[in-house]
Amino acid sequence: MSHSHHMDHIEHKMNSSMVTTTESHEHHHPTTMPEHSHGGGMMMMEMTFHFGYKNVPLLFSGLIINTPGEMAGAFVAVFFLAMFYEGLKIARESLLRKSQVSIRYNSMPVPGPNGTILMETHKTVGQQMLSLPHLMQTVLHIIQVVISYFLMLIFMTYNAYLCIAVAAGAGTGYFFFSWKKAVVVDITEHCH
Amino acid sequence: MMPMHFFFSDKVVLLFDFWNVHSPAGMVLSVLVILLMAMLYEAIKVGKVKLLQHTMQAIPTSLSSDRLDVSEGASVNSGPGQPEHSTPRRWFLYHVSQSLFHVVQVVIGYLVMLAVMSYNTWIFLGVIAGSTIGYFVAYPLLNVR
Repeated sequence: MSHSHHMDHIEHKMNSSMVTTTESHEHHHPTTMPEHSHGGGMMMMEMTFHFGYKNVPLLFSGLIINTPGEMAGAFVAVFFLAMFYEGLKIARESLLRKSQVSIRYNSMPVPGPNGTILMETHKTVGQQMLSLPHLMQTVLHIIQVVISYFLMLIFMTYNAYLCIAVAAGAGTGYFFFSWKKAVVVDITEHCH
Repeated sequence: MMPMHFFFSDKVVLLFDFWNVHSPAGMVLSVLVILLMAMLYEAIKVGKVKLLQHTMQAIPTSLSSDRLDVSEGASVNSGPGQPEHSTPRRWFLYHVSQSLFHVVQVVIGYLVMLAVMSYNTWIFLGVIAGSTIGYFVAYPLLNVR
């Protein structure tokens, strides 16, 4: 712990000397002091952005990044996780739209002939809660919430590489997956 | 050590180690910056929708001028699937800018989240105020054509 802390400190000084010229020493004492008193197995949380690939905890207790290679792997993994998150959001949206469209088509010819069949449309809407599309949406929602919290926690490590991975993954995912969505939105807008 | 509850203080380190606040004036400035960031977040959300609306409007008109001399209303009703094939460059530009907007939105969203995580009440109030003002100002713009 003391060794890694020492490394951290040096890295910090190098980092901050690039940004702030003179006050780096003063700046660092308040943030590093509690680490001395803590001492135990608990890992100190960083409180500002930093570039580093040593001793970076990642979500789970066994996952600690210590080498550049591990950081590269984590970068790729986080990148794809963020991409997957964007894809999931858009997939959910299009899935919802698809199920809504089918319901609308089911109910649309119904009010035409007479008023009694109108009850049937209400029934189909009510059964939505136990239907397969809704169940699917719920499961996907759980996955989405979990992934979004994971991404948030990854960003909270303040590790600049991982933060860049999250942002780049989100951008790339949005770029590739919302291509189709733009067209879909276009169609619905025109049909109105 | 990281605080785990809200507290009032004019000392805080926000996001970067050079953003070190230790005076009331600095705190006011930081709250203002954070407030603007929260406002910008709301503005970007609206901006994305506005961009979509803008492109939607622009494409049918370019269609009508390219192909046949029909009125704008008629060309809007014409082909639902046609625009993205006829003006792919415009769609590409739109899509790239929309993606960039999205990245900026994600980054600012996380930065604001981290600022709140400092547990400094002033910063937190700044975020809430910025979000409120941003929403209040930006959302009426959605209906302005």
